[in-house]
Amino acid sequence: MATDSTAVGAIRNRGPLEGVRPAFDLIARQRVLFTILFLVVLPWLAPYKALAVNILIFGLFAMGFNLVYGYAGMLSFGHAALFGLGAYGCGVPIAKFGFPWYVALPLGVLIATTAGVVIGWFATRSRGIYFAMVTLALSQVVYYVVYQSIWLTGGEDGLRGVSVPSISLFGIAEFNLLDPTTKYYLILIIIILALWIFSRILASPFGAILEGLRENEKRAAACGYDVNRTRWFAFVLSSVFSGLAGALYAIHLSVVPIETLHYFTSAVVLMMTLLGGMGTFFGPFVGALVYLLLQDVVSVITVHWQLVVGCLFVLLILFFPRGIWGSLMHWLRI
Amino acid sequence: MSTTPVIATEGVGKRFGGFRALSDVTVAFYSGRLTSIIGPNGAGKSTFFNVLSGAFPPSEGRVLFEGRDITGTPQHVFPHLGIAKSFQITNLFPQLTALENVRLAAQAMKSRFDIWTKRETLSELKEKAEDLLNRVGLSKRRNDLAANLAHGEQRSLEIAVALASDPKVLLLDEPTAGMSPEEARAMMDLILKLNEQCSVILVEHRMKLVMGISDRIIVLHHGQLLAEGTPDEIRNHDEVRRVYLGQSV
Amino acid sequence: MTLDLFLLQLFTGLALGSIYVLVALGLSLIFGLLTIVNFAHGQFFMLGAYVGAFTLGFTGNFWLSLIVVPIVVGGIGMLCERFLVRPLYGRGIDYPLLLTYGLGLILLELVRIIAGTQGVPFNTPRLLAGAVDLHFFFFPKYRLFLIFATAVILLALWILLEKTSYGLIIRAGARDQEIVQVLGVDIGRVWLIVFGIGVAIAGIAGVLAAPIRGVFPEMGVPVLVEAFVVTVVGGMGSLLGAVIAGLLVGVTFSFTSFFYPEMATLSMFVLMALVLVFRPRGLFGRAGVLG
Repeated sequence: MATDSTAVGAIRNRGPLEGVRPAFDLIARQRVLFTILFLVVLPWLAPYKALAVNILIFGLFAMGFNLVYGYAGMLSFGHAALFGLGAYGCGVPIAKFGFPWYVALPLGVLIATTAGVVIGWFATRSRGIYFAMVTLALSQVVYYVVYQSIWLTGGEDGLRGVSVPSISLFGIAEFNLLDPTTKYYLILIIIILALWIFSRILASPFGAILEGLRENEKRAAACGYDVNRTRWFAFVLSSVFSGLAGALYAIHLSVVPIETLHYFTSAVVLMMTLLGGMGTFFGPFVGALVYLLLQDVVSVITVHWQLVVGCLFVLLILFFPRGIWGSLMHWLRI
Repeated sequence: MSTTPVIATEGVGKRFGGFRALSDVTVAFYSGRLTSIIGPNGAGKSTFFNVLSGAFPPSEGRVLFEGRDITGTPQHVFPHLGIAKSFQITNLFPQLTALENVRLAAQAMKSRFDIWTKRETLSELKEKAEDLLNRVGLSKRRNDLAANLAHGEQRSLEIAVALASDPKVLLLDEPTAGMSPEEARAMMDLILKLNEQCSVILVEHRMKLVMGISDRIIVLHHGQLLAEGTPDEIRNHDEVRRVYLGQSV
Repeated sequence: MTLDLFLLQLFTGLALGSIYVLVALGLSLIFGLLTIVNFAHGQFFMLGAYVGAFTLGFTGNFWLSLIVVPIVVGGIGMLCERFLVRPLYGRGIDYPLLLTYGLGLILLELVRIIAGTQGVPFNTPRLLAGAVDLHFFFFPKYRLFLIFATAVILLALWILLEKTSYGLIIRAGARDQEIVQVLGVDIGRVWLIVFGIGVAIAGIAGVLAAPIRGVFPEMGVPVLVEAFVVTVVGGMGSLLGAVIAGLLVGVTFSFTSFFYPEMATLSMFVLMALVLVFRPRGLFGRAGVLG
């Protein structure tokens, strides 16, 4: 598995707390391995399996988002479009046209990535503050279009009938997707693959450029990097991961709610990334876990979950902008 | 010395809204020379530097590189042409190490969209970065964060970063800004040495520093070209003396 | 298309655009001085409608609610600025944006809790009900009033910014905050008031739009997007841009909904896309205000 000491080593600074450091240092170095280990045992820690699957999926979604926001420094408010198009792009072929899962899944990713190319192109023509606004506006276009296309997508009621009861691999093994544990571990395999690829990207020359870009854009341009094009590419890469998450979501739920495309979903993934810690590898999964657990718990007590989300946003921004994992990493100077 | 100037400007002017910073500056820089651009504060030196280095295009006129019109070329293309710059206010990647700063700059010439190879395998970039740090005397500080370097060291790092693109022309904007006299001396010696490899154009407002090392000097005043010539010619130039009267020469 | 029809669509577009202008104006004002994109802007719009509805309910006087709304909404805005947004200055442009988004969620949910999820009625005031004969066509009196009211607010804002010393400080502060501070102006006070004015205008837009759009908790959600589109088209931080772009978007919507109704909502996004292709900083945006 790809381990990355370069990126960590390049920005590490010695800090005061040496006691707990070794453990977390090890985690940071072997981040892919540790993430996988954690995710392997997750179903047994989570209150119920479906929640664990959601954590996987939203963790992946947040990872894609983190590439754009945490690593490349661009605040996108339009990732719902990528996630949602991944979901519809996989769900519609299955539900309406009877495509098999192994065609629909890549198709969903492809559609989401195409949207990433288009949205990313428009959005990266505008910098800073505009970026958030443009991504929001463009993702709302996707929302409207899908909303109106009732014949294809089910409109307001969402897409139904994305049923993939079982998967047979090369005619050898048959996996029953109705069993939550089986579903979890099958999806985990895909997530692990995605994690590995993501880790490679971060460890690549391109990953170094993203770090530089986030640090000092003007300097990066003066060194010879096309800032716009780099950002666009990062956005497209991000849409691959977020789109994949969406496609998996469709298969997981067997339906695609229209809310996946609304900008509140963009806010949710943003919240998860913030909560976990942007610009950290493990953060998105931590954030997804905490958010979904919290939602689960709070929804039993009150229907006003959005109020809690809002307060969480405000508190995070004011007091813990680094998030849970990010703060931990910072305090330990990793 | 070839007859085509390595960089030339023709009638370059720059307006910011209602304010005219430069007007009709026509000047040629020849290969291998060390040319200094001087002038009192507000003369338009920085603006001219920014036009030369691609930070923004001129409002009027043309900028030529080896005879080719490069007016309006975006900033990020300049290092690929062979023009590198350092900034007046230190502009590095603060949370990256000195080594990584230079390595990343060197990487721009090699790989910009590679998402698969591991960075370490591009070892030639690391070697180049080590070599450049050595040349500017920062080898010992290679693993320190740029933000933690002393001011003078940061200025030297800026130069190493600029050199990473193997430039034909090195543009330096007040490289000795904020330095003590000893540090400034050392910097000038370094620049002189670098001049053996590439043309150097530097902006300075301390006339004394550049007199000894420049092949040619250009004097700007109120955004216009006041004088151009060898240090001796400039020293004895009536207009220049008048403009600088009251300021230390 | 006959002249009558053309003018009717045009006026309808201007009425629609008036709401867009007011919302975008508030947003641009806040951005211009504070460099904050107020992601709660749509919720202040909604607050204005609710405050107006309640005032109308208690007093039966529409005109009174027009006065009460900006004061109350502006006041709430100022409280938010002082205690939530202010601590974030200097921390990076994303932080206030995110905070205001969270604030928006809180406001939305609080309204749901306090006033219920179904919405409240808001009838067109009797004085402004019905239609007026504009020779070429009959036009709803209320919409005409909308256009007129917006013009009045624009005029008032213009007088404030151009003719008063306070406006001078605001404009100077938008250009260079440090200089204003050095000159002894309490910049904090200026921020407070500008934020207050910005959201107050959004609130007025909300109450003005109430008879047409209805009053319900989610009414501010699409407004945020609309405000962004107008701002991108007009240019962030430009008040003239907000006005021109707002009217342009409104008129475009109006004409598109006549010829090709399904495309009406998308038309403003097409406009935005065109601007992004040909003039990314917006029609009146300052180059480099974002870099």
